[in-house]
Amino acid sequence: MKVRIFQATLAATLIFFALLPTFADRYFINYFLLLFMYLTLAGSWNIITGYVGYLALGHASFFGVGAYVSALLIIEFGVFWPIAALAGGVGAAICAAIMGGICLRLRHIFFAIATLAFSEAIRVIVLSWDDVTYGGFGVSIPLYPYLAPFYYFMGGCAVATVLMTFFLARSNFGLRLLAIREDEDAAESVGVDTTRCKIIAFVMSAVLCGVAGGVYAPYITYIEPVSTFSVLITTQLIVMAVFGGTGTIWGPVIGVILLSTMQEIFWAQFPYLHRVLFGALIVGTILWMPHGLIDVLKTRGLLPRSRNL
Amino acid sequence: MLEGIPVIWLQVLVSGLLVGVVYALSACGLNLIVGVMGIVNMAHGEQLMIGAYITLGVYLWLGTQNPLILLVAIPVTFVLGMMIQKYLLEPMMESLEVGTLLLTFGLSVFLSTGGLFVLSANFRFVPLFSGSLVWGELAFPIARLVTAGFAVVLTGAIYLFLRKHRIGGAIRATSQNAEAASACGIDVRKIRILAFGLGSAMAGAAGALVSTSYAFNPDIGMTFILKTFAAIVLGGMGSFVGGLIGALILGVGEAMAAYITTAQIAEMFAYVILVAVLLFRPNGIMGIKKT
Repeated sequence: MKVRIFQATLAATLIFFALLPTFADRYFINYFLLLFMYLTLAGSWNIITGYVGYLALGHASFFGVGAYVSALLIIEFGVFWPIAALAGGVGAAICAAIMGGICLRLRHIFFAIATLAFSEAIRVIVLSWDDVTYGGFGVSIPLYPYLAPFYYFMGGCAVATVLMTFFLARSNFGLRLLAIREDEDAAESVGVDTTRCKIIAFVMSAVLCGVAGGVYAPYITYIEPVSTFSVLITTQLIVMAVFGGTGTIWGPVIGVILLSTMQEIFWAQFPYLHRVLFGALIVGTILWMPHGLIDVLKTRGLLPRSRNL
Repeated sequence: MLEGIPVIWLQVLVSGLLVGVVYALSACGLNLIVGVMGIVNMAHGEQLMIGAYITLGVYLWLGTQNPLILLVAIPVTFVLGMMIQKYLLEPMMESLEVGTLLLTFGLSVFLSTGGLFVLSANFRFVPLFSGSLVWGELAFPIARLVTAGFAVVLTGAIYLFLRKHRIGGAIRATSQNAEAASACGIDVRKIRILAFGLGSAMAGAAGALVSTSYAFNPDIGMTFILKTFAAIVLGGMGSFVGGLIGALILGVGEAMAAYITTAQIAEMFAYVILVAVLLFRPNGIMGIKKT
């Protein structure tokens, strides 16, 4: 019975969001578009950090690489933006494969800061390689006059992220990742090819970030290195995923919905203070509800205990 | 002009070393924490930033040119570090590593953005020293020389403390094998708190030294954690001497890169080193393999 209620709610939500552009104000379409973007980013990050247990601090760079690949393809070669966005995903995947190949042979403490260093390095490269990337001037993309296609594409990314996590959580491969998270040496000794699994998971967690960046660039029509590769993006997606609950399918979703709504209502009025609150929120969440809101709901009996949630 | 070439290289080398010893202070501090706790404190750079602002505050408050105000940051960041370990990290010691790392990352975000909120993003500077020491064709800013002197003395003092003192021995024992140390009657919890405080104090001291020769704002933590990290990866995680060597190589390498190319590309030097070392020698020069 409970499962049916859940499925019905899910279907109703999907239909609601599919029909939203036909009746809603532009403000709401824009708002949900960005919410979908954060769903994609936080959900993707959840794969490497929630399921594999490796803290990745460079996801803004996948987003940024996706945005730049897409933007440059559009303005230099006139590629239609949805194709450019997918190419952005490919760019991010290649980036992640290189970065993962180097960083994931190492254990946690190396990995976290190595990803941070990588993303800083990518930002410096984009900033100083101005023959190709236009450096600090940024890239302007001609306006594509419709909003709904961006909305649907970003929504598709969010749905794809949730589906990917869902199948991952139920798959054999997902179990291997969990084994790595709990005890990497033990996982290796029972025959899990840990490095390979970690790299695949890392690439999986980068692809959709790249696509989201690839959609974001033509949507926002102007990108530049400092804000596109900002640590703030990484912080924001981490705080959302951690608040909702990492290592679960719906945790990041709940976190993104709650926190972006709060951000829209209250925090937008305090542009600097809300960043401070982000930091405090990460610390507080880790200390008092280390498995996130979704785990609190589960222990209180408000949600069924299931691996599928 | 022909004689000028080796002189300029000597200048670059010494300048690099002068910066390198300040990096070394921060790197040895982080290595102390890594060694004892097995985790990287992501907020290490922010503690450095706090050290710089404390120095600025004391300088503005007292309006003195006395270089001893550089030492004020040390006790403050020492206590701050002990409190962070005691109240935030100690409850997390049994949980998954990713949780602890995330916690220090959250702390780093909190401190740097809190700094931006309270202190604004304007770049500040502590003009404690001025002028340069000119020696033949070489010239070195007084600020760099004095801060390098402070850094050498402080690093040396901590090194001797770890080598000779009973408590230093307990810290080393804990970092080699916490369980065995605990079995020998060492209160591992207290040692962790102390080690974290010491590591933070070293970051704070490095920040105080940095404040006299670089412009800083609340965002510098990020730059310095990456440089510190590059230094300890290069030298070897958890090895005090390794951190020292790594930091000196990093300082000299950066100075040379800045001389040959541009300052912006020199910024990349730390990252390039980081990636290269991770690829070819993940345990660093003096690395000890942790089990």
